[in-house]
Amino acid sequence: MAMALRSGDTGSVVPDLADAIRGCAAGDKAALRLIYDAEGATMIAIAQRIVRDRAAAEDVVHDAFVQIWSKAKTFDPSRGLARSWLYAVVRHRALNMVRADRRLERVGDFEPLDLASPEEDAESIVTRMSDASALRRCLERLDPTRRALVVLAYVHGLTHGELAGRLRVPLGTMKSWMRRSLLALRDCLP
Amino acid sequence: MSASPDRDLERLAAEHAVGLLEGAEAERAAALVNADAAFAARVARWRDDLLDIDDTFLDGERPGPALWSRIQASLADKGAAEQAEPARLEPVALRTRRRERPWQIATAAALAACLALAVGLVSVAQRATRAPVLVAVLLEEGTLEPAAIVNAYRNGRAELVPIRTIVPPPGRALQVWTLWDRAVGPRSLGVLERARPLALDLSAFPGPAVNQLFEITEEPSSGSPTGRPTGRILMKGLAASVP
Repeated sequence: MAMALRSGDTGSVVPDLADAIRGCAAGDKAALRLIYDAEGATMIAIAQRIVRDRAAAEDVVHDAFVQIWSKAKTFDPSRGLARSWLYAVVRHRALNMVRADRRLERVGDFEPLDLASPEEDAESIVTRMSDASALRRCLERLDPTRRALVVLAYVHGLTHGELAGRLRVPLGTMKSWMRRSLLALRDCLP
Repeated sequence: MSASPDRDLERLAAEHAVGLLEGAEAERAAALVNADAAFAARVARWRDDLLDIDDTFLDGERPGPALWSRIQASLADKGAAEQAEPARLEPVALRTRRRERPWQIATAAALAACLALAVGLVSVAQRATRAPVLVAVLLEEGTLEPAAIVNAYRNGRAELVPIRTIVPPPGRALQVWTLWDRAVGPRSLGVLERARPLALDLSAFPGPAVNQLFEITEEPSSGSPTGRPTGRILMKGLAASVP
């Protein structure tokens, strides 16, 4: 592994995650560790934006790795990227946790996002996206509010109802905005 | 809206991948992912596209060694549970299915109950992976065999997880109690018609603390009339901290 750390001239060695998931399906714990080392930090960041708490994010990533281990057999590399499969497990677990908590604790839909301005937060995410990203190019074609809604829904795991509550618009309006924005993205994406 | 079925499926796939859905639509999307390869492919395509947003999360702090240790411990537990559980559940399901006709309705009900129990256990097990800070193992009076577990979490929530089937006699119920101070006496945490997983609200009490007592007694169906345990103790246990 010392080779992998010498990232100076040749660039860092990126593990093949699809191979690692196959390794997990075959019962190889070293393969799971490889995924953990390569993606653990990003997974925590994804979870933390949804559950908004570092300790809870670690709980999410813990549960996600247990699921990755047991669901590895169901990964089909012909269907999509290994990384998006891994992140989907994390996101799904985080959404389940936060929605169960919201039901139990009856947290209202008006809980602030701890952001000065949601649009600003979404804009800063979009500007950090790669210039080569087709998604970025297509998001930039949407009007700024709708762009922010799509990005915030994804990043913070908000439902239609929560977005409608924050923007003080009727639920039906939010659903229709979201539907049109997403279909416009699909038509724009290659 | 004059949505074509194709556009509506695309919309559903996108909203599922983004994480917007809840309730019936979330269930519909999850069922379609399992049943319809074309729909699953739509969702996967959205996930691959949305990855460009995840790529902006470079600020993630690397998780420490403690998290990896926890994951490994859970995998070890899981391996043990997978070996132990089918042995108990499967024979019941297979055997009862082949019984003679008069039993079939009752069998179906038993099977459904088994499944419900299994599903309940799975969901409780999933929640339980959020490392409790205190655990009490409740032992059945007499046999001293583990009959239920109380897990208390860092965020103040707690849950009762039965590990044995306990059904009180007709007209009677199970009542869950906790005792943390003999001067205050036991306080009720809830009344159950049978042993089932239960979220416990400990917010009105101090603690939970090490050596706090949890117990279940048999009481009238509406719960103890005196607010104190009146019936026989079915199980009890003391909370211990989790290292």
